[in-house]
Amino acid sequence: MITDQSVFITTAAVLVFLGVFAMSYSRNLLKTIISFQVVVFGANLGLFASGLGTSSSMMANTLVLFSIVVGGSVEAVGLALIVLVHKKYGTLDPWKIRRLRN
Amino acid sequence: MTGEIALLLSAALLVTVISALLSRSMSITLIMMFYASLVLGVIFTIYQGILVGLLHIVTFAGAVSVMLLTVVLMTGQTDLDIGKRPLALLLGTVTILVVAAASYSLFSTVPNGVQQAQSMNILSFVWTYRPWDLLILVIIFAGAMTAVVNLLSKEE
Repeated sequence: MITDQSVFITTAAVLVFLGVFAMSYSRNLLKTIISFQVVVFGANLGLFASGLGTSSSMMANTLVLFSIVVGGSVEAVGLALIVLVHKKYGTLDPWKIRRLRN
Repeated sequence: MTGEIALLLSAALLVTVISALLSRSMSITLIMMFYASLVLGVIFTIYQGILVGLLHIVTFAGAVSVMLLTVVLMTGQTDLDIGKRPLALLLGTVTILVVAAASYSLFSTVPNGVQQAQSMNILSFVWTYRPWDLLILVIIFAGAMTAVVNLLSKEE
């Protein structure tokens, strides 16, 4: 039987793996940050879905709140680092950056 | 009716995210991520998580989208080279399909895990100390903002 909870948890799992795959596949640091955002979306949806239809939905909401703040903060720091890297190396390709460092 | 709205919203979320990740244009990626944030916020709001939904929309569709746009404009990365690696794409697609099938079969049969955890009184313990949780959130946010200011104000 299809329930809301199973649909959302499946979507969350797909989002997390999609984000991790895109993170390892991308050759641009901006795309990596966007992939990280997809992973955070998956984690948020999974946490939220775990409390659907139960008496512990408020706890799930609290965990999602925590996850949103942590995800947003990490993303802000990552974007600041990207600006610095671009200023220093002139590119956002991790392979080129590695070559320029050596 | 149960599950249809969830299926529709999940499909919308997946379509926006996949098109954001596969797009070669940065502007389309940003627009699609904006829509994905909105869809996720709507999911939270519809399923009784109004505060979380609004916070999600404000944070990701608002602040993070603007930050991403600013960084794109600063760095001038408008076109993305996503490369041509068909084997990796095929492998990723197969992995994601297996994950979807496995997680669906797992979570549609096993009884709710959170309810089991609550019987062990863990969640009520965490709930008692909720003000500390909010304090930690404030500290994390302040730390992140300090790090951003420090990074961006560094002289070469």
